[in-house]
Amino acid sequence: MDPLILVALVIALALFFDFTNGFHDTANAMATPIATGALGPKTAVALAAVLNLIGAFLSTEVAKTISGGLIREGDGGVQIGPELILAGLIGAIVWNLVTWLLGLPSSSSHALFGGLIGASVVGAGFGVIDGGVLVSKILIPAVLAPVTAGVVSYLATKIAYAVTRKRERDGFKKGQIFTSSLVSLAHGTNDAQKTMGVITLALIAAGFQTVGSGPELWVIAACAIAIAAGTYSGGWRIIRTMGRGITDVEPAQGFAAEAATTATILASTHLGFALSTTQVASGSVIGTGIGRKGASVRWRTAGRIALGWLITIPAAGLVGAAAALLVQLGPGGIVAAVVLALVAITGIFLWSRRSHVDHRNLHQPEPGVFVRPKKRKARR
Amino acid sequence: MIDWMAFLTVFVAALVSACIAVTLFSLGLRLGDGTAAWRRPVSVLMFVLCAAAVVFGLYLIVGDHLLTLFGA
Repeated sequence: MDPLILVALVIALALFFDFTNGFHDTANAMATPIATGALGPKTAVALAAVLNLIGAFLSTEVAKTISGGLIREGDGGVQIGPELILAGLIGAIVWNLVTWLLGLPSSSSHALFGGLIGASVVGAGFGVIDGGVLVSKILIPAVLAPVTAGVVSYLATKIAYAVTRKRERDGFKKGQIFTSSLVSLAHGTNDAQKTMGVITLALIAAGFQTVGSGPELWVIAACAIAIAAGTYSGGWRIIRTMGRGITDVEPAQGFAAEAATTATILASTHLGFALSTTQVASGSVIGTGIGRKGASVRWRTAGRIALGWLITIPAAGLVGAAAALLVQLGPGGIVAAVVLALVAITGIFLWSRRSHVDHRNLHQPEPGVFVRPKKRKARR
Repeated sequence: MIDWMAFLTVFVAALVSACIAVTLFSLGLRLGDGTAAWRRPVSVLMFVLCAAAVVFGLYLIVGDHLLTLFGA
């Protein structure tokens, strides 16, 4: 196949992955402000989109390895060609859409890693996977992220409820706007980079860009627009799960959870121990549910989310591996893989129309509902 | 293998910073709800300190990037 067409396909799929990454992760920052009524749904996603767009342009460091060291790339390792990148992207996109359909906040980065691992294993065998990195960078942090954020959020919630009285707690809504904005900005600086890395690697692999060079301005702009457009489109199913499915969130809880998410993400980014934004945000919501007296956590939903995290890498890997088997057959196989991916994507979207969820059918509380005194029973 | 010291540092830093921010904001709300003359300025001070924490978070996100972009 003409390298230009192949690279164009990789770029198109990479941008679509970026789009799914955006709408998959809107909930990380905006689920709790929407759930408490601190921001209207459309305002929240518009704010998140703008901050993701700005964040994507602020990033200047692109990961040297798109797989974060999981796959032995470069000198002495496997050279991931555009065909395998294409297959890996198909795995990541399909799994991201499946988890979106189920309303599960799973990690888009893990889906990308899984897809690439599956494609690379088919392309070069199991030896290409660095097991140590898999355990230390993915599996253990996947357990530590929600636990850390959960503990921080639990204590923050306890403090918020201990210090304030009921009638004062509507004020937390204003604070939520700032903390959720920080999460959105941090997301933009981190996540758009992955797609920039994928596109740059494909351009280098096909000989359209020199080895060792960074992303072109048009790549940065395209990725920024794709993630912002994805963020603006909402991902309402996951917002519903995070905002209402795990626990009923009040403004004080929302502020505590967002503060915990922001603090954990910033600390992890700047102190050299990367944690998944999605897992941190989910852990914070669970922590705040445990932290408020009288609130309850729906452990069945939390269990479904944890199961989603557990199977994201293998599931995306299986789809990526199946796509890699096809793309290795030559140009016909590449076309078949792309067509099958389009069929799967269309099928998932059509299936989602059966139970449509958008900003109009998200439950939002009336203003003041959290601070309104309870009605006393009438005396007889 | 996993760097447990780095994880512990992240955990403590996240715990302390989140608790400080929530305490300051909560105190701002609590002290703003009263009639005594001293409460309002102290409440404003709490919000200002909390805002400073947000600005520091903003610096952590964009500070390095801005320094790189403007070559400082």
